[in-house]
Amino acid sequence: MEVTRIVEVEGTPVVETVIETQEVVVTATPVPVEKEEAPDVLGVLPRNETVIADILTGRVGTPGNFNDWVGWKWRDRGMQNLAWEPLWLVDFATGKIINGLADGDPIYSDDFTTLTIPLRQGVAWHDGEPFTAADVVYTIETLVKYDGFNAHSYFADNVKSVSAPDDYTVEIELTQSNSRFHTRFLDRWGVTHIMPKHIFEKEADPVAFEFNPVVGTGPYKLHSYDESGFWTIWEKREDWDKSPTGIMYGEPKPKYVVLQYFANEGAKILAQLTHQADYLNLSSDGLKAVLAQCESCRAYQPTFPWVVNNDPCITGIVFNSTIPPYDNKDVRWALLLAINIPEYMGIAVDGTGVLSPVHIPSLGTYPENFIKPMVSWLTDFELDLGNGEKFKPYDPTAPAQEAEYAVGRGYIFPNDPAYIEKAFGIGWYKYAPDEAAKLLEKNGFSKNADGQWLLPDGEPWQIRCVSNTDTTTHGYRNCIAATQQWKKFGIDAEPYPTEAAADLNNTGDFEVSGNWPAQEPWGAGPDLYRTLDLWNSEYVKPNGEVTGGQVGRWSSPEMDAVIKKLRETDPTDSEAVIEVGIEGLKIAVTEMPGIPTYGYVGFMSWDETYWSNWPGSENAYTQPYAHWGNFKYMMPFLEPTGK
Amino acid sequence: MTFIRRYLIPRLIQYVLVTFLGITAVFFIPRFLPNDPIVRTITAIQSRGATLDPATIDETVTNLKRMYGLEGSWLEQYGNFWLRLFRADFGVSFFQFPTPVSKLIGIALPWTAGLLLTTTFLNWTLGNIIGGLAGYYSRNRWSRALDAVAMVIRPLPYYIFAFALLLLLAYWVRWFPVSGGTAIGRKVAFNWPFIKDVLWHSFLPALSLTILGGAVNFQTMKLIVQNVNAENYVQYAKLGGINESRIVSKYVIRNAILPQITNLALALGQIFSGALITEIVFSYPGLGTLLYNAIVTGDYNLIMGITTISIVAITTAILVVDLLYPFWDPRIRYM
Repeated sequence: MEVTRIVEVEGTPVVETVIETQEVVVTATPVPVEKEEAPDVLGVLPRNETVIADILTGRVGTPGNFNDWVGWKWRDRGMQNLAWEPLWLVDFATGKIINGLADGDPIYSDDFTTLTIPLRQGVAWHDGEPFTAADVVYTIETLVKYDGFNAHSYFADNVKSVSAPDDYTVEIELTQSNSRFHTRFLDRWGVTHIMPKHIFEKEADPVAFEFNPVVGTGPYKLHSYDESGFWTIWEKREDWDKSPTGIMYGEPKPKYVVLQYFANEGAKILAQLTHQADYLNLSSDGLKAVLAQCESCRAYQPTFPWVVNNDPCITGIVFNSTIPPYDNKDVRWALLLAINIPEYMGIAVDGTGVLSPVHIPSLGTYPENFIKPMVSWLTDFELDLGNGEKFKPYDPTAPAQEAEYAVGRGYIFPNDPAYIEKAFGIGWYKYAPDEAAKLLEKNGFSKNADGQWLLPDGEPWQIRCVSNTDTTTHGYRNCIAATQQWKKFGIDAEPYPTEAAADLNNTGDFEVSGNWPAQEPWGAGPDLYRTLDLWNSEYVKPNGEVTGGQVGRWSSPEMDAVIKKLRETDPTDSEAVIEVGIEGLKIAVTEMPGIPTYGYVGFMSWDETYWSNWPGSENAYTQPYAHWGNFKYMMPFLEPTGK
Repeated sequence: MTFIRRYLIPRLIQYVLVTFLGITAVFFIPRFLPNDPIVRTITAIQSRGATLDPATIDETVTNLKRMYGLEGSWLEQYGNFWLRLFRADFGVSFFQFPTPVSKLIGIALPWTAGLLLTTTFLNWTLGNIIGGLAGYYSRNRWSRALDAVAMVIRPLPYYIFAFALLLLLAYWVRWFPVSGGTAIGRKVAFNWPFIKDVLWHSFLPALSLTILGGAVNFQTMKLIVQNVNAENYVQYAKLGGINESRIVSKYVIRNAILPQITNLALALGQIFSGALITEIVFSYPGLGTLLYNAIVTGDYNLIMGITTISIVAITTAILVVDLLYPFWDPRIRYM
């Protein structure tokens, strides 16, 4: 098998081709069906020069408006993933931070009050104007000037001055010490992009400016879009070698890329089966349907569990820790111990997720940097059950139990410890309903004659787990699985799917929620600032008010101290940030403000009829999604099949 | 003059009052929804991105309130709403900020109106003609066969029926596209390639609506005609030797069609709220998904824009039907 990889030589990513031999077990059963050719749905584009992908965030509501700095603009319609380049970009598949418009790391002063950003030379905007430091300076000054921009408050509060000593250097003076200021320009599904000064400066009101046609520094420029928001077409720019993508990785192969909206999964699947869609986000069942019927389609992994399992998000359950009884960590831990994790995983995602015992996913570089170094601490970690009784909840055999479940379901995969660890994780917690009962009884809970748990005040204990209504989302899946486990434990628990879930979470109008139990980390590099900082007590608001922090509203002085320490740590000093990060994770495990279950799994399929060399698990040269900013970095590596 | 004083003016007052109350309800009801447009916008930006800082959320909320025009009491907002409405200005969409609501409706309405106007008239006309004939000749074999077909089609859930059409004609036979209103890359233009493309893409949604809607009209009309056919005056006419085609057109159909005209007027009024399931199954652009998304995102202005048009359309359609009824029904006279 010929595999294209991106490797780093003295800090610069380069491309190399190697020959690898790999045994692949394919368990999907394609049904070869002779079909007529698909109708030509591309009105003006040649199919064999076009990549068609679905858009994750739905039908574009503002098709003619590309001003991403104001409100919400469906940035994954091709703006962030094809047309624009950020200063830096994380790649969770490789664990690296890639320089885009920047030419290297940010350089902070010792007290983190100034930083210097070196810029890449030879980059031009889509209209041929050179990209320079003046664009970066203009962007920051404009964001500070107009309060209608999303990022206005942050830049106004943090930037004292910004200047360009030369065309390719930017210097920023901060109002206060801030070792993570540069992360505003670090793309991990959303970032502050740079405005083309020569276009925006002509606009009297840059907030109302529609920025149509959009002009970026990425390898693709706007071709056309549907007024109803169903599709956007991007065309490879002729001077692609003046984009950071072209400079780093060479010429993108597809001439056109279409980001298309399908209103339902059935239409998506039919489109792929008729080769009218190359890349799709699907549900678990949708992926199975595609793999079973499409000979030319593949998933991220060639065998069970098929799913994309290197995403940086951790899924699970969140408690509103300001509301009794969830303000009590014993109660939160009891609810965790009442979960039989192999059963839970079967209900939630048919056993396809990677377990994580801590509040970051057991994916990418996180197991090596954080979870494995924490195993001895996790093994020794004890809960106080009362009456002097202690209990060690950590269970290193949980992933093997999940694998056993998958075997029982008839799934075939290598029986190899390394494979099991990668597919199912390193460990989780014991199913211990008796110990859970002791924790509850210690806090005044009791059971009635029917075996149902009563709150300390004698009222029946009811749990309504809030999630959105989309059955494919992990908030929903976690609620379904958790409530079944808790019901079995004797609690009147039910899922509560609602279209208003996001609002209820943000305003604290919930008790238990299927949600991210912690903010996902950056996705590259070991810095957990993004994860831990959201538990900062500065952001905790009374229920009813919108919080900027974790929706569970948990905080502690101990975690505040860790966050403060992290703020004073150089983010590029890996050893130091890992040490402080582990300190924070230990507090999170001890307090268990939310239950981490499995890392986000993406159900995604590629059709290889027109394009091959997709970044699958055996060839993960970049992240695999079309909606992340790195999609543009996939383009030079796709190979036309000649059809 | 008696007609104007005793019927028209009270009826017009009723029309204005019902419309006013409907629009007022449309203003207040979304404000009781648990969805807050500002929270929703912040969530959308925050949920995957990194461009909102937790420490500055309060300032962002204030800025969004100002930009969305949600400052002030509900009463002040209500006053402003009516002032804007008289200028046919529904304001800007919150979730699709800063696109004006009128622009969003303007983009979606032609698709919905084109599809639903055509299919509503088509299924109404076909259903009533075939249903009328089947009702009059209800003992014929073909009439009973058609009835059996309609009995099978009508209870089918629309979603299943539409998806079955999609599977059959878009996947297995591959005569039609699986989704969309036009081919990707096709620009809106008044030329034959575009019109042909639109017709090709709208054929399956139109077919699904026509068959199911037609079955409903067929059965309703058939039953009404069967009942009318049994009326004494029809029997007397037959015994009196009046020409059969005259009996069908002047005695039976003219009476049987009256409730169907009311149904048609209501169906036409409802066009302005779109056909949600059709749009979802066929990924077809239109007002249905626009309204649905407006509701789930708490986009007050967009909800008000679409439902105001819908309310005005329905109340006006009923008013027009009421006023025109004497032309169809000789028993009704406004004195």
